[in-house]
Amino acid sequence: MTIDATMVGRSYAAAESYQVGREKIREFADAIGDGNPAYRGADAIAPPTFAFVLGSRALEQLLNDKELGLRLDRIVHGAQKFSYIRPIKAGDDIAATATITAVRKAGDVEVIMYETALTTVDGEPIATSTSTISHNRADA
Amino acid sequence: MSLAGTELPPLTITLRREDLVRYAGASGDFNPIHWNDRMAAALGLPGVIAHGMLTMASAVRVVTDWIADPADLVEYGVRFTKPVVVPDDDKGATVTFSAKVDKVTEGLAEIDITALAGEEKVLGRARAVVRVR
Repeated sequence: MTIDATMVGRSYAAAESYQVGREKIREFADAIGDGNPAYRGADAIAPPTFAFVLGSRALEQLLNDKELGLRLDRIVHGAQKFSYIRPIKAGDDIAATATITAVRKAGDVEVIMYETALTTVDGEPIATSTSTISHNRADA
Repeated sequence: MSLAGTELPPLTITLRREDLVRYAGASGDFNPIHWNDRMAAALGLPGVIAHGMLTMASAVRVVTDWIADPADLVEYGVRFTKPVVVPDDDKGATVTFSAKVDKVTEGLAEIDITALAGEEKVLGRARAVVRVR
């Protein structure tokens, strides 16, 4: 099992859409210590980095790809970027699809870039997330 | 009114193990390097480290606290340059965030964010773009 350039372009859709709840948004805001009132109440929007949580459903599929053979406990997050079209809101039903955009190998370390598209289940674009992760295949 | 050069009010946070466990639960990221010393060491890390996404979430608070509505954030990106090591004690790790408006073009302000744990920059190229009215 290894990673190579032929895997660029592989896409992984989250198995199920993510139904955003206002209590989940509040829980997340509390966990990042952010008391901003925008993240609370009936019209709550989600903190910006909550977008990563929605994308993680698609990342899970990528991690499940046996041909890649990645392990979560060997992954370190290298870089992350978000482009927002509009904030995620309580009540949104969000679909996530992750696509591998680049791979690079340096010995036992594999650097993988992937882009995650977040849209509502009706197809309205919400945000794009670009992630770089390093995976270390070596046993310590 | 020119916003370029404006320094945003800084923010200092403390991360303890319990904060990492709480973030793991809220985010669903249960990677053991964020709570298990043995697993962190096995990966060659200096200790249990904070979720990069938690550091990233905290850093942007400097920006979203400054703008009236967090919905005006258009873009936000960081590189995780150094891990934030969170010791298993009551003191935890302290990270200080500061930010400065670099430039404003066509109603969009580009803001550079700095994140320091002690003397070490833990985020690189941290930049947010916000709509300004």
